[in-house]
Amino acid sequence: MVQAMRGQRAASFEWMVLPAVAFVLLMVVFPFGYGIWLSLLEYKLGSPITFVGLGNYAALLKDEQFWNGLRLTFILYLFALLIQLVLGVALGIFIHGIHVLRGLVRTVMVSPFMLPPVVIGMMSIVVLDPAMGVANYLLKSAGLPTSHFLASTNYVIFTVIAIDTWQWTPFVALIVLGGLQALPARVYEAAAIDGALGWRRFVYITLPMLGPTILTAAVLRSVDLLRFFDVIYITTQGGPGFASTTLNIYAYRRGFEFSDIGYASALMITLSSIVLASVLVFSQFRRRLTW
Amino acid sequence: MVRSPLASSRLINLLTGVQALVLMVVLFAPIAWMILASFKNRVDITRYPPKLLFEPTLDNYRELFIRTDFLDNTLNSFYVAGGSTLLGLALAIPAAFAISWHRLTWPATLTLFARMAPGTLFLLPWFIMFSSLGLAGSHVALIITHAVITVPIALWTLLPHFDGLPRELTESAQIDGCRSPQVLLWIAVPVVVPGIIVAVILSFIFSWNYFLFALVLSNIHSKTAIVASFNFIGEGVTNWGALMAAATVIALPPTLLTLLIQRRLVSGLSFGAVKG
Repeated sequence: MVQAMRGQRAASFEWMVLPAVAFVLLMVVFPFGYGIWLSLLEYKLGSPITFVGLGNYAALLKDEQFWNGLRLTFILYLFALLIQLVLGVALGIFIHGIHVLRGLVRTVMVSPFMLPPVVIGMMSIVVLDPAMGVANYLLKSAGLPTSHFLASTNYVIFTVIAIDTWQWTPFVALIVLGGLQALPARVYEAAAIDGALGWRRFVYITLPMLGPTILTAAVLRSVDLLRFFDVIYITTQGGPGFASTTLNIYAYRRGFEFSDIGYASALMITLSSIVLASVLVFSQFRRRLTW
Repeated sequence: MVRSPLASSRLINLLTGVQALVLMVVLFAPIAWMILASFKNRVDITRYPPKLLFEPTLDNYRELFIRTDFLDNTLNSFYVAGGSTLLGLALAIPAAFAISWHRLTWPATLTLFARMAPGTLFLLPWFIMFSSLGLAGSHVALIITHAVITVPIALWTLLPHFDGLPRELTESAQIDGCRSPQVLLWIAVPVVVPGIIVAVILSFIFSWNYFLFALVLSNIHSKTAIVASFNFIGEGVTNWGALMAAATVIALPPTLLTLLIQRRLVSGLSFGAVKG
């Protein structure tokens, strides 16, 4: 009887992961491997396919547009990440201190990042239109210089950074808010007794304790920023010229506008490696912080 | 403290109130502008300087639904988002249960990989795979590819809920002779219903919002509202009203669903890293 119970208690549910694992292997891991294989081929629609080994990767190093894409990807990534983390922490702390209308503020904060990127894109096109948009109207009324925004070769990438910051800073802030709410109140009481208040309290107590939370937000934003696609493609398709053609946009254009499948795959594998590397770096940091 | 504490706390309250108001205006004004524009007629929408007061019209919506295929596109979006949510949950519920019960880490990490890789990477292989199966452009292909989005979201939303399941519950059911699928369906699932609701809503929103896969893998019969409205942009310079009407329509389902699960939203989106 006891043994029968043990036998049953040991019954395993492990096989229940199989359908999901099979799905991920088939739809994610296999295409990833297939993508690596494609990146080793000279594969253009309409021409014979040949194996070129690392030829596509060698060509990539000499491709001006690859370096342009890499540069834009990192400008977008570094600026947007930094701005969103700083603003997000400030906003999170601010909301933590609000006691009135908190529910309403939270509701409004959630709305930008739950909207479809295509809606964000269409909204940006209309609001930021150089001639008829309300953004330039407001700038002009305030006596400030106007801008061509998405139509400007120099400022298009910063316009994209601004749009993404508007959309995703509230997300960072809500993560920070979650972290703040999890902090034990005792720490603050002890700090108050020691005379640590205001700015000092923030630098020496709040910020270090929020470290893991901020890193979480950084990882989540990094993954999305490095492979940023939707809003750029919807608003500019990478233009004007190549002024907003980040690595991901460039890979897409090479693959689907020029049907250059081998080369596009090499670009995408390179980008994936960058994303994975950034996640690994952050997880190393995180390990050190939490221990 | 030199100032009287009461007066200074009033001042601080007023200041934070003003700041909160500014914050809400900054975040909500563009959205409000979009909604307002969808009710403007052709003249008012391009009027410069822009007008805040105008006579509202439904013409843009009429044009959108009568003169274009937007109704079909919207239905396609419902099929794809609904189908991929069901498929995602069907795969994620048993997996989350087993991962939580046996404290497995590798399958959970494996699904994270799906969340992190750039979607463009999969498109070329998928395109070749689905074309060789004769499924390119079908609803089925879109549902399967969108499940790549929904599986990790559903799985990671469900994990903490299954972790909270008392082990005795499952063990006693097994002693009573329940087989493992029965244990999952009749014992575990009813307890984690709240988690399943959050997982369903998040999966639906993200599948609904997703742009890239349908951009490449849909055809004229399966095109989603998201891709259709992207195509409007190219043609739409002449018709901003219909464009804004389309944006308002596709913003509606995610907004309404978000209101239902606000509190759990961030913990679901941060893959368990943040407690809601």
